[in-house]
Amino acid sequence: MLLRGVGASAIQAQRVHGERADMEAGMAFSLRDSLHLVSEPRNLDASVEEVFRMMLGEGPERVDGESVVPVGRESESVTAVVGFGGVLSGACVFRSSAALAVKIAAQMTGMDIRCMDDTVKDAIGEICNMLAGAWKGKVPGLSANCGLSVPAVISGRDYSLHVQSPEFQLEHIYRYHGGSFAVTIVCDNLL
Amino acid sequence: MSEIQALIVDDSSVMRKIVERALRQAGLESLVVHEAGSGVEGLELLKGRKVHLILSDINMPSMDGLEFVRQIQMQNLAPGVPVVMITTESSEEHVRQAIQAGAQGYIRKPFTAEQVKERVVSLLNPGR
Repeated sequence: MLLRGVGASAIQAQRVHGERADMEAGMAFSLRDSLHLVSEPRNLDASVEEVFRMMLGEGPERVDGESVVPVGRESESVTAVVGFGGVLSGACVFRSSAALAVKIAAQMTGMDIRCMDDTVKDAIGEICNMLAGAWKGKVPGLSANCGLSVPAVISGRDYSLHVQSPEFQLEHIYRYHGGSFAVTIVCDNLL
Repeated sequence: MSEIQALIVDDSSVMRKIVERALRQAGLESLVVHEAGSGVEGLELLKGRKVHLILSDINMPSMDGLEFVRQIQMQNLAPGVPVVMITTESSEEHVRQAIQAGAQGYIRKPFTAEQVKERVVSLLNPGR
């Protein structure tokens, strides 16, 4: 799956909403000069902590270097993608094992969920949506000038996500309830 | 108000359930919830039913939440009924657009039940 399609739908959403406030006012808004703020890793950690604490009641622990889906096993995983469009184009990607996704969905909804189903995919899509919104809200000027697509969620055992030479990419791995998940911010263009 | 009829509009069924749970935790026990998975569905539901409160997501496919609220006003489907937008978008520009469309409240996702209570109770009991 290529991420560009998702980014295009975020741009479309932004056009429909008429969100580019600065551009409407005839001002040229640029994030180029604040790349250090956009790629600040602490913003991603703070966003993950905020979303998990508020929606699940507890935050995860950052553990970079761990594998999200055990290597060498036919393990099912879930990936949610929310595209960014506007002054920043790219995507926020959430990936976890199916087992952890089921635990997260059950905790988030208070429902008894035991296997991968549409409710789990819906919940993981919403987690990714909130992570994307929280992250862009932490970068001055990005919130009003960058739209979000609706989440796309994929699950399966044998797939990979391909990103074409991004401008920058942040990937953090977190441990939660005995499993781990990855949150990736991919920026393929910055105005 | 003995029984509160609320309409929750969100393309995510999980978010609709979470918003409903937050409303109940906010003390609205005598709550009857009507759900719609899109703005179009929400408008159809309002044509045949009177509600006391509307909560809607913004970022939805086919008809977004802002257009949904504009249509409620244009078609006069829920006169005097408070509308609260619940969304991941949080900039002042988004809040301005929501108010301009006809919303009275704005809740940013992620949210706590306490935040939902604050917004909703004050809109249902404006004198308090």
